[in-house]
Amino acid sequence: MNWTQTRVSHGSKRQPERRYLVLHVPYWATDCFKRHDRTLAESTQPLVLYEKQKSALNIVAVDALAEKAGLSSDLNLAQARAAVPGLQAREIDRPFLEAAFADFADWLSFASPVVAVLPDVTAFGDLGFDVTGVTHLFGGEQAMLAEVLKRLGHIGILAQGAISSSIGASWALARYAPSTIATHEQTLEGSVLADLPIGALRLEREQISSLSQLGLRRIGQVLDYERLHLQARLGESFIRRLDQARGRVSEQIRPRIPVAEHFVERRFAEPLGLLDDVLLVTTDLALRLASELEMAGLGARSFHLMIYRVDYKLMCLSVNAARATREASHIDRLFRNRAERLSGEFDAGFGIEMVRLAATELSPLQSSQTSVFAEDDGTGDLHRLYDRMSSRLGSQAVLRTVWVNTHIPEKAAGLAPVVTAPETLSFPGEEEPRPIRLLPAPEPIKVTAEVPDGPPASMVWRRILYRFVKASGPERIGEEWWLDEFELSERRLLPPRPEDRRKPASEKPRIEILRHIIPSRDYYVAEDDGGRRFWLFRQGLYGEEPNPQWFMHGFLP
Amino acid sequence: MGSPAKQEALEALRARIAAIENRPPLGESGADLRRKQVEGFLASAPGLLHEVFTPEERNAGATLGFSLGQARALIKPDRPAVFYMGLAHESQERGLPYGPGLQNFGFAPEHLTLVRTQTMPELLWAIEEALSCRAVAAVIADIGGHPKILDFTVSRRLSLRAVSGGASVFLNRYGTGREASAAQLRWRVEPAVSEGQRFDPRAPGNARWQIILEKGLLSGDINRQGDWKLSWNHGFELDADKSIARQQAAA
Repeated sequence: MNWTQTRVSHGSKRQPERRYLVLHVPYWATDCFKRHDRTLAESTQPLVLYEKQKSALNIVAVDALAEKAGLSSDLNLAQARAAVPGLQAREIDRPFLEAAFADFADWLSFASPVVAVLPDVTAFGDLGFDVTGVTHLFGGEQAMLAEVLKRLGHIGILAQGAISSSIGASWALARYAPSTIATHEQTLEGSVLADLPIGALRLEREQISSLSQLGLRRIGQVLDYERLHLQARLGESFIRRLDQARGRVSEQIRPRIPVAEHFVERRFAEPLGLLDDVLLVTTDLALRLASELEMAGLGARSFHLMIYRVDYKLMCLSVNAARATREASHIDRLFRNRAERLSGEFDAGFGIEMVRLAATELSPLQSSQTSVFAEDDGTGDLHRLYDRMSSRLGSQAVLRTVWVNTHIPEKAAGLAPVVTAPETLSFPGEEEPRPIRLLPAPEPIKVTAEVPDGPPASMVWRRILYRFVKASGPERIGEEWWLDEFELSERRLLPPRPEDRRKPASEKPRIEILRHIIPSRDYYVAEDDGGRRFWLFRQGLYGEEPNPQWFMHGFLP
Repeated sequence: MGSPAKQEALEALRARIAAIENRPPLGESGADLRRKQVEGFLASAPGLLHEVFTPEERNAGATLGFSLGQARALIKPDRPAVFYMGLAHESQERGLPYGPGLQNFGFAPEHLTLVRTQTMPELLWAIEEALSCRAVAAVIADIGGHPKILDFTVSRRLSLRAVSGGASVFLNRYGTGREASAAQLRWRVEPAVSEGQRFDPRAPGNARWQIILEKGLLSGDINRQGDWKLSWNHGFELDADKSIARQQAAA
């Protein structure tokens, strides 16, 4: 389900009246195939999509031509081919279409930031918008609907839509009486719905057939009927659908992209093509957003730059700040850094028609004190530096030590991004020697040592022989006894294969220092004849199976 | 150095030379220097570009220790941050700074921020950004090999940034090659055999280094390029009996 239900409270506090736009895109599946396949787009033959269901090939989507030729999803492929010579058919790829439809929905957020896919009848076909308070940007509801339909028409997508005070009514009108704008009263009374067939209520198949047995074919007839009778015959769900359509029970749509309470945007009459132009606009938007936030007394920790391309693609850049901010130049710079990183991937397509800058994770922020007595310890500068670095290099690239409350010393310290990590806790302190540099993955070494647990006398590490003149240890670091056997075996350290070692992970930085913990290791500090001090450990004991293995784990100064 | 006037004239001259060379004066009077030696080896002024060379990558522990020891002396309440930077794919070569080890060494880990970049240009960008922040005391960067991009022009840029921002840069370099650079100081650092622990001479003791100043001039008691043996005991300690005596004897 893509929405949740709440009762509209009819108490003293009146709910603000909401307005919903529903778009119905009946031929979206075939339109999408045509966009990705030129030969289909240029062909004048009807197109159907089929799906293998059990052993039959059933039609699941048709385009406008095929529909005109009398084809529908009740048929199977053989029947359709017999009826329409020269029919083109493709097998449907549902995961692809659903993902593409989701992208399409994101892009449509240019019209309103709250967009949801409504999968009630088909997974791709209907979209719901909460357009409360945004229609004035287009010059009214009628104009907004016309504008959205016009833009979709430009990219070859046939759509119809309607606006009313409930999702249910908008859905019904979009399908059966497109381009209707229903007022709040009309929605509540159901008068605009009266002439529509009962199928417009998003009912189940059985409910529709029971209603037609009763001779009820239009919604108007149902509205006059005794509710209790209908409820007894058709179930609770029918009554809920009816109330939803009239806006007596509110439906909340679950938006696909995070809803930003504060956003500013700019539309362009002539689409932009250059990243530099987008950045210029961003500078301007950052100023406007900053002053909006200032007026509201807020700061934000996340900022999203949404770039709407003419050909339904939404590029979204997000940056995080180490602490809430509303400084325009800082926000601007974060996006410049991020854009620099992405410049290779930037693709304006056929042009950019709108840029929106939104702020989320808002928190109250006092107006900054700028007098000479203001406390200024430079931490603000430091946080801004963290933000700039994280936005350009990625948040995983700028790290600080975080302490974990455990007695296992090598698990006790990890690295976490500065922009998300909590403030550091103080570390209790460790008397035993610890390396100043730790290898992210311990490396297997060959060691000669006295059996059973004498200190190492020499080792071969990275094909070089080291002779140790001093050593201390062992320090035993035990297993985590509270983990069960399975978890321990999962975490048992396996020596990395030699070819892995020479090409360290370039794909994803490994930021957690040593995530595997193994049962019982004996650590030694060994100093070679050149004064180099190493942190080594032996896993396992001599005289036990399997034979103990030695690993190099870190360097002391 | 007799009269105060002469002393003053000398100071002024030093400042002028420093201004011409765009390098903050290193020289402080002998007494000041002696006082600070324990805390930060030579208590070099902030805002300098240092190169810390070690012949082999396996000495990485020693160079990081030396740089951190120098950087620690630059931390002030209004300049609390030290950055360690390196290329992400070289982490496994030399390891990453490790909190408990820093703590043991006497460097509070909360002062250290790690930056791991994908490419050398990003690394240089990050160094410059950090240098222009007034809360940063020092930047320590691990640079393996001899990247082409790190030429004289770039090192000049870094040294100017360091001077104007007031933070120091320590470039930890590996290998024996020395390309032209605008670094004010170039150190050659190698680990030295420790003295062992007080009650157990067979156990490795405090960190120790063999230090050679290859480039740059220090004034005061140690007023020439030279070599020293340093050890670490909650701060740098010169093995005064050996090297300083030798320095002075040579002088």
